[in-house]
Formats: sequence, structure tokens, C-alpha cells
Amino acid sequence: MAESMEMKSEPRSQIGSRAARKLRKAGKIPGVIYGHGQNTISLSVSADDLEHAIRHGIRVVDLSIGGEKQKALLRDVQWDYLGMDVLHVDFYRITEGERVVVEVPIELRGEAPGAHEGMLEQPLHQIEVECLATGIPESIRVNISQMQLGDVIHVRDLKLPEGVEAKTDPDAVVVQIVAKEVVEEEEAAASPAEPEIIGRAKAEEEQEGE
Amino acid sequence: MPLMPKRVKYRKSQRGKVKGKATRGNTVAFGEYGLQALEGGWLSAQAIEAGRITAAHMVRGEGRLYIRVFPHKPITSIPLETRMGKGKGEPEYWAAVIRPGMIIYEVAGLPESAARICLSRIAYKMPFRCRFVSRRPSI
Repeated sequence: MAESMEMKSEPRSQIGSRAARKLRKAGKIPGVIYGHGQNTISLSVSADDLEHAIRHGIRVVDLSIGGEKQKALLRDVQWDYLGMDVLHVDFYRITEGERVVVEVPIELRGEAPGAHEGMLEQPLHQIEVECLATGIPESIRVNISQMQLGDVIHVRDLKLPEGVEAKTDPDAVVVQIVAKEVVEEEEAAASPAEPEIIGRAKAEEEQEGE
Repeated sequence: MPLMPKRVKYRKSQRGKVKGKATRGNTVAFGEYGLQALEGGWLSAQAIEAGRITAAHMVRGEGRLYIRVFPHKPITSIPLETRMGKGKGEPEYWAAVIRPGMIIYEVAGLPESAARICLSRIAYKMPFRCRFVSRRPSI
């Protein structure tokens, strides 16, 4: 189960990109908290605290907003274009015993013996699950130590912790071992040097017909 | 044969400018590690192919390489020693328009050390600065 942490936040009155930029320069991240039919509050949190929560897979935080404590789920994070810095964060108010839908990473455990003969493919790196907000699993562990060539593990085959229900398509492939690809060199002569022009062939045919 | 579209509406296009930063295609989506462009520019089909060949030696049999960009843009040029005028040149090659932050290649099924070597070798073939990236933490 993902751990929880305390996070201090301050309500912010100034909104807009200029104010947000100033906040980021001061080592804070602008964010909002919403949910449960209450008002949306604009706030700011410490960049270091948020970074720690994200890197350690912490999903639920005890957010103190101007002295008032509130349990909140880290719902969305906006990154800069390089994916290095966090620009904005969304918190969602939660209560004890509330069920939420979140994405949980899939962690492969063991070494598949069939991977030497074939190729281990993992099309799904995270799955959507519904669970208690206070009991979000850190990751879903998949044991691949028995997998042979041609074996497939679907979402329905995953052993989920108690109280956790998968929302992703049960037939979706999580991990499989496929035969090694044989790379075929394309023949240069087979493909034309220039692409076909849409509409040109028709126009030419019409001209010929006339 | 370098990559190019099968069908196009127009043979030639205007040059345009590479404006802004990548807001799409800037996350590792298929593999575990990726090569991210730090600068914008045109990436020719030949350069994409050169990168693929370089990586093919590393990932052969073990992993999988994903090419995340496609050369949609025809680049024209006027032959040498030609007087100016007489219209636009003929299509010379095809290029992908790359904005800073775009993921160009991804690899899957390789350990991090091998993926780093593989992608750094591809980076030598790229006409702009690139960096090695892994998946973003899921929220």
C-alpha cells in the first residue's frame, strides 16, 4: 500500500501565469483542490515536498490548508515540455472509506525463462483500478518467472490485493513472450520514389476520357 | 528505402517555422526508455533510418525499437548552378518536423545500461541535441 504524508500548503489569491511563474521561482508549485461539491481552492505547495511524493509513489496526502487539515488524493500533475519540472498539481478531496479510480504501475518480478528464446513484451505499464482511497497499492506485481515462449498474462490473470478491482479491459495483454522478430530488408525497387498524389490520377483519367 | 508518405495531397509544401515546444509526443509511451529532442528542427528520413540501423545492432532479438516520428514534410531544393527564379525546386527528401521535447525513439525490453548505450549511439546521428529519458512516474 502506498504510504501517506503530510504536506503544507498555502491558499493563493493571485492567479494567472505571471503569479504562477513567480511562485515556481520561489520554490513552490501552484495547485488546486476540489471535489465533494465544495469550492475549488487555489493553493501552493512546496516543490520539494511534491517532488518527494511523486518520486516515492505517494498518492494520498494530509494537506494542511492554512491550518485546516484535509485528506487529498494527488489526482493530476502537469509537467513542463521536457518532463523535468512540475508546473501544476491537482488534489482531490477524499474521505475515509471512499473508493477512487486511479492508475497503478505494473511491476514485473523475476526472470522469464522463455525470454531467452523469444522477446518479452509489456504493452501495459499501468492499469486503472478502483480501490479505497486509503488503500491504493503502490504497484501491481506480476510474477513472470514461470513464463515460457508464447505465454500471455492478461489483466484478468492479475492477482490484485483485496478490495482492489481492475477497471482496464480484462482481455488486455499485460505481458507476453513472443518469437524474436526476423528483420526483412525491404527491396528498394519495390517502393516508388515519390508518393501518389491524391486526386491527380482521377483528373488525369478524366482528361484522357475527354 | 527511407520513410515517406504513401499518398499526399500536394507534392510540395512551404517551409514554415518550428514554433513552440512539444505538447504532444513528449512522453515515453510504448517502451521503457526514450530519446528526447532538446532542440527543434527537421529530421530527415535518412537520419531516421540511420538511427534505426544503429539501434538495430543493439536491440536485435533482445528488445524492440519504436520510431515515434514520421517524415511528413517534403523538402524541396533548387539544383546547383541554377539561376534564381523559374519556380520552386523539386522535392529532394522528406523530413519530420521536430519540436523541443519530442520523443524520437523508444526502446523496450533492454536493461537501462544497454538502452543508454543504444540511444546515445542514435543521438550521434541526430542533427540536434538529445537526451535519454525514462517513463514519467504514474499519478
